Amino acid sequence: MDVSINAHMPGLVARVVVTEGEEVKKGQEVAVINCMKNEMTVLSHVDGVVKEILVKEWDEMQVDNPMVILEAKTG
Amino acid sequence: MIKKLLIANRGEVVSRIIRACNSLGIRTVAVYSEADRDALFTRQADESVHIGPANPMKSYLDVEAIIEAARHSGADSVHPGYGFLAENYAFAQAVISEGMTWVGPSPEVMKAVESKCYCRHIAEKVQVPVNPGTFDPIKDVEEVYRFAEKVGYPVFLKLDKGGGGKGIEMVNADAEVPAVFERISRIGLAAFDSSDCYLEKVVVNPRHLEVQFLGDHFGNYFCLGERECSIQRRHQKIIEESPSPVVMPADRKMIFDYTLRLAQAMKYQGAGTIEGLRSDAGDYYFMEINARLQVEHPVTEFLTGVDIVQTQLQIASGETLSLLQDDVKMDGHAIEARVYAEDPVTFQPSPGVIKMLHLPQETEDLRIDHALEEGGSVPPFYDPLLAKVIAWGKNRENATSRLIEALKDFQIEGVSTTIPLNISILEHPDFKSGNYHTGFIETLTGVSLR
Repeated sequence: MDVSINAHMPGLVARVVVTEGEEVKKGQEVAVINCMKNEMTVLSHVDGVVKEILVKEWDEMQVDNPMVILEAKTG
Repeated sequence: MIKKLLIANRGEVVSRIIRACNSLGIRTVAVYSEADRDALFTRQADESVHIGPANPMKSYLDVEAIIEAARHSGADSVHPGYGFLAENYAFAQAVISEGMTWVGPSPEVMKAVESKCYCRHIAEKVQVPVNPGTFDPIKDVEEVYRFAEKVGYPVFLKLDKGGGGKGIEMVNADAEVPAVFERISRIGLAAFDSSDCYLEKVVVNPRHLEVQFLGDHFGNYFCLGERECSIQRRHQKIIEESPSPVVMPADRKMIFDYTLRLAQAMKYQGAGTIEGLRSDAGDYYFMEINARLQVEHPVTEFLTGVDIVQTQLQIASGETLSLLQDDVKMDGHAIEARVYAEDPVTFQPSPGVIKMLHLPQETEDLRIDHALEEGGSVPPFYDPLLAKVIAWGKNRENATSRLIEALKDFQIEGVSTTIPLNISILEHPDFKSGNYHTGFIETLTGVSLR
């Protein structure tokens, strides 16, 4: 099942710290958003494998913008 | 003579500079990113020019876009404000190469003072004390071990070209050195294009003090008093006041003398600030020079009655400073609270749209620097500073009470602000007694903010 990791704060994408195909654990950092010059960490809420990265550095983020798609591990 | 000024910045500092220009009969040009299309400061200027998207790299930090806006609008001069390109000597040089006037020190001075090691060398030359440490960038971790053996841990590893609270790392033991050295070098390369770092002894519980000075093109210099800026979180100031409750008259005379020696040695022109530390034992150490207008300049303006921005414009126009040091009055006490769009407890940023705004009435003893309005947006892309509230009183106690009263009357909905934190600092017994240092907020909240 595909799960989208979304921005929890508005701002600019500072960096994406995972790569496509990478295995990700629940609670792991996947990206960083720069909001008002503060670095805000975006965490995965599931275990899974990175299927697609939708954003790049300096992209403008609104709350709930999808950033990374994971293929979630079931069971 | 400056006739039309472009202000290469956004928000409250633009409003502040426009006010000075209106008094001097100078026309103003604002620049704005897509995120600031409807912002108040763009309407306060005589003209405004769109320079790019919200991303500051392509708008407020884009030298070419701003130079093009200046050309297009027929501006004859540029004021950079603070932050963004204010300390970028290549920008200053680009403005000058276009035949326009740069409101600030020369690009040569800006380039030189970017290096803290350079500043330390100059200070040594004119016999101004600096914190024990190295005068040149270190080459390897061995130098850290040797220095720590001499002065004892903890020591500071600082980026030669760091700033804005970035590039300062404390090292507590030999074992930490390689990782910290690696990390600071990486931050330096990413943020400041230079991994050079040097060493300084840690001053325990210091006071952060600075002295405002002005210099013209004819060798005239004077000091406008010190500012006490020890109330900080993450190396960012939150409360500033002048005079400092701990600087005695004889020490004041001495640090003014240091300031004038440094400014003269650099042939500095315009407004600048000498930053330094005062140790518990009462020793003063020079740290660095800020070659620009500072956020907290209104404190000094309230105390002395000198309009620093107007004076910057007059100096840039080639006028002679008409004041003499003995004419500078330092009357009563001035204190400023910076209001940030942040949660007052967690310091999480709080962008949004201002749904309701009630500002305290400005009076002879109260000033508010801001660019806020109901319906206005506080974008997530820039600094969280919303407003500065500055109060004057005949003594420290009166000024503080006036500021607390004003902050309690400051109402804003739609974004969270640090106002509750500002008030609890000002009402704290240690603040009232003047007994505080740069670690004060961490003591107050019990949270480490590093």
